[in-house]
Amino acid sequence: MNLLCATGANAQATPVRIDQQRIPDAQAPQNAYDEPANEPGVTVLDSAVLFYKEDGGRVQAIEPIVGVTVNKENGDVFSAKFTYDSLTGATPNGAAPATFEQTFVSPVGARGGDDDADGRTGASGGTIVTNPMTGQQVLEYTADANTLPLDPGFRDHRWALDLGYSTQLNSNLRASVGASVSKETDYRSFSGRAGLSQDFNNKNTTVSLGVNFEYDQSRPVFGIPDPLTEMNGLLKGPNDSKTVVSIVAGVTQVLSRNLLVQANYSYGSAKGYQTDPYKIISVVDAVSGDPLRSLYESRPRSRTRQSGYAAVKYAVGSWVSDLSFRYYDDNWGIKSITGEFSEHIPIGKRAYIEPSVRYYHQSDADFFSYFLLSDEVLPQFASADSRLDKFNAITAGLRGGVKLTNQLELYGMAEVYRQSKSGMLPQGPGAIAGQDLFAGVDAVSILTGLKYSF
Amino acid sequence: MMRKLTLCFVLISAMLATSCASIGVQPWERDVLAREAMQLDANPAITGFHDHIYFSKEGSAGGRTYDGGGCGCN
Repeated sequence: MNLLCATGANAQATPVRIDQQRIPDAQAPQNAYDEPANEPGVTVLDSAVLFYKEDGGRVQAIEPIVGVTVNKENGDVFSAKFTYDSLTGATPNGAAPATFEQTFVSPVGARGGDDDADGRTGASGGTIVTNPMTGQQVLEYTADANTLPLDPGFRDHRWALDLGYSTQLNSNLRASVGASVSKETDYRSFSGRAGLSQDFNNKNTTVSLGVNFEYDQSRPVFGIPDPLTEMNGLLKGPNDSKTVVSIVAGVTQVLSRNLLVQANYSYGSAKGYQTDPYKIISVVDAVSGDPLRSLYESRPRSRTRQSGYAAVKYAVGSWVSDLSFRYYDDNWGIKSITGEFSEHIPIGKRAYIEPSVRYYHQSDADFFSYFLLSDEVLPQFASADSRLDKFNAITAGLRGGVKLTNQLELYGMAEVYRQSKSGMLPQGPGAIAGQDLFAGVDAVSILTGLKYSF
Repeated sequence: MMRKLTLCFVLISAMLATSCASIGVQPWERDVLAREAMQLDANPAITGFHDHIYFSKEGSAGGRTYDGGGCGCN
């Protein structure tokens, strides 16, 4: 949950009643979304469902959420949100495409729960193969020639619960605490957070500071593979974990009656297991370019991240422009810039639409590589995960809402997200030079939700 | 770059916190700022979905809020 929302961002929303008669040009709200937000004494129930689908038979997800926010008369705010994810589909396994069909192997039970022990294709994808000599079972799947290899058995369920509470310690100081737990088949996450926000200058300036502690446990169903060892059907090592400590410092400033700016600095340090246990990287022949074998990837156990964020909200009549910018970098070598713009446009007296656009660019991680060469010494870290690649991404979206009654709002969102390779693909040897190695996603998201206030 | 960003942030915060009340509005001029459409996070459900999707599909995190993802999706 956003720290600054939990603390109320007092620079803009205070319990002081607005005396309309003292404002020379005040007028009645033109649109329902001009009404004040979340006044004390109001409880808000919010439920929504997201449908997410990637092109090319890749990941699909359905994610319903239910949340409640209780704004007490004394200014205390209590919130709870429950999220459920269901993911299916296929995802790139990190291997490079080849000019021939490739076969990959995984321990049985790696994905899904209904693999068939008789050798027929399981619902999770791939085929169970039994070694007649040893009786060992493995899951095999293939990738067609000249096709990016996908793990067809990507399937998972996740549920998460987030709780938050904030209270006014005095007229200018607000404190907040919160906790989250998230559980999926092969991953568990626990976190706790606390924050303070202090108002200055007649509540025109708010300075906030928050800290978050997170403990994550990686529990792949076939165990944790040793880094850069060859892909096989054997069960792996014990579970592993990581801890993340992060802080966010923010300042919000009212510049005028209809202009608000915000600036944040965040810092995070993660220590522990941060490798994707399911991802592999191909070792290709240094002359022919043919993939020879697949190795489990390896990432550093330490990662520090920093980002600077700034946002502006400016209202003209009932229209509101929102512009934000973020710069990010970390010690894995990834640097990114993000810019977003949206325009809230009132429609009639009870509705709005809000077109938006987002641009994102990131550099690649120091240890990112599409493949390894057979004549080179193995590096300490290597990953072909496209999320560590150098790429651009554009999101074009449209959201909207309508107040069906003064208490009930229906809202929705539709977005298109496209990643594209930034820069040139490497000139690999032989056959791999002609392959499309970029594994970024194209995806569509559709969301619909209902919000009820009472 | 990040040291400069951090220093800028600290200086801006200190300057705003200690500056005179001429920047900003009076309590009775908060009508526009209190609007639902002017909230920094006007729709937490959509913000939450975005945070999850971008954390899962990109190499960056944080900025608006904490860096942690709370899931095994990255």
